[in-house]
Amino acid sequence: MARSPSNLLFVLVIPLLLIGQATLLSWILPRFLAVGVPGSSTLAEGLGDVERFRVLLLDQFRFFVLVIPAMVANVFATLSIVEEKMTRTLEPLLATPVRTWELLLGKILSGAIPALAVTWASTGIFVLLTIALGWGPLLQWVIGASWYLSIFLLTPAVSILSFALGVIGSSRAGDAKGAQNLAVLVVLPLFALIAVQVIGLVRFTPLLTLVLSVGITALDAVLLRLAVRLFARESILIRWR
Amino acid sequence: MIHTENLSRRFGDRVAVDCLSFDVRAGQILGLLGPNGAGKTTTIRMLAGMIAPSSGSLRVGGYDPSKEPECVHEIVGLLTESPGFYERLTAEENLSYFARFYEGIDVTGAVDRNLERMGLSERRRDRVATFSKGMKQRLALARSLLHGPRVLFLDEPTAGLDPEAARDLRELIVELSGERRTVLLCTHNLTEAEEICERIAIFRTELIAIGTPAALREERFCPTVRVRLARSKVGLLDALRDLPFVQAVEAEPGDGGLLSVRVDDIDRDRPRLVARIVEHGGEVLEVAEDRKTLEDVYLALVREEA
Repeated sequence: MARSPSNLLFVLVIPLLLIGQATLLSWILPRFLAVGVPGSSTLAEGLGDVERFRVLLLDQFRFFVLVIPAMVANVFATLSIVEEKMTRTLEPLLATPVRTWELLLGKILSGAIPALAVTWASTGIFVLLTIALGWGPLLQWVIGASWYLSIFLLTPAVSILSFALGVIGSSRAGDAKGAQNLAVLVVLPLFALIAVQVIGLVRFTPLLTLVLSVGITALDAVLLRLAVRLFARESILIRWR
Repeated sequence: MIHTENLSRRFGDRVAVDCLSFDVRAGQILGLLGPNGAGKTTTIRMLAGMIAPSSGSLRVGGYDPSKEPECVHEIVGLLTESPGFYERLTAEENLSYFARFYEGIDVTGAVDRNLERMGLSERRRDRVATFSKGMKQRLALARSLLHGPRVLFLDEPTAGLDPEAARDLRELIVELSGERRTVLLCTHNLTEAEEICERIAIFRTELIAIGTPAALREERFCPTVRVRLARSKVGLLDALRDLPFVQAVEAEPGDGGLLSVRVDDIDRDRPRLVARIVEHGGEVLEVAEDRKTLEDVYLALVREEA
């Protein structure tokens, strides 16, 4: 599946779009909406309103970038089972002594690892782009413990969450489209995270980021067990046409 | 090696397999014949531990597939009706991927050996997408043999193959049976079944008949001799009916010179039959066994059952 040109295109296009969009927003929005944004009022003391708002927007990239593992992992996950059904490889696969958890773990790793790699590479590119645009000094208010926790703990947790939901959807649905509908369950809350920060409702401190990461990791464990339980080999074999 | 007793499987209200009982000993090829929707694939899936029976018992190589599917998967090779492969991967990569699921096998050795055996060594580094249907079918058989299974379930292995590829595959199946591998072969090709199967099970949801092709023929049809006469005499039919080994004599409609005579044993009774015809002034042009094929047996049984 990783060799599919359309999948590779998807894996490359989504991150580039996100990086471009985040950069553009960080460039344009502070020029027009810098004053009175609640989320930026307590940030980066000593900076002007425009720079403060830019720091707030740059800081959102750590949540913005979560869309990458959420979508990439979900696409890989949903296609992983449905495509096996469609190419008729699932039956020979299930005829081997592979256990369900082994099969799903393999699928998770094959989806989550590329998704994480792309996410981290995108983060690196975004940081370099930020420096190139002359906003390097602002990074001292952006990159800190909370940022690292988001990138290295929250991102893998979201990636696995997305993958587990994708696998559950994939093993229950008859086609990839039906399975991918579950992706919305992951992507929408990510935008909610950004919104609550921008309007100043919540500030994701290192502790809160850690709590969120641990919470999602716990949810991952539950969902993975559920994915194994819901992966009904028999109905998958019988329902495929 | 394979044992089923009152094996049944329902999907909701629909009965796919009903009270199926049969045994297959080690090294035997059993042909599973039946119309579309008869439950052949469901039976194979139950035996391969992929779906559970609704009732009844079954054992494959001493294991219960519904309770010990992993053990069954270790000793069973499955060739599915459509040989699914990762088409962007090469033949070698496909086999290596599947071989890694089996514990304790030498992956490289198993892949090399089976590609060689199926005559695909030259194409090992080619993508499966470039393979013909026959090559894919051979590759699928190679995949099912990677772990050296004692039991093979082959679902329509020669479907859609050209005659030469089908013949090669049949030869391979016979060769595998010669290695003491038990083969359960689902097929619609009755000639193929008659050629390579020691025993045949005809079923349509439930078992209709099981036995060797010869036994099935004998059960359904009496041995019959067809006699073509140049000239017949009045009273010949009655003279033949008087013979103790003759069960029935019929003159073929529209052709007074063709007789159909049912006897007890063709080889034993044929000379005496010819002698009686000649004694009564008949002139014999041709005597031949009216040999019923497995297809005749199958169609008669299935139509009767319907």
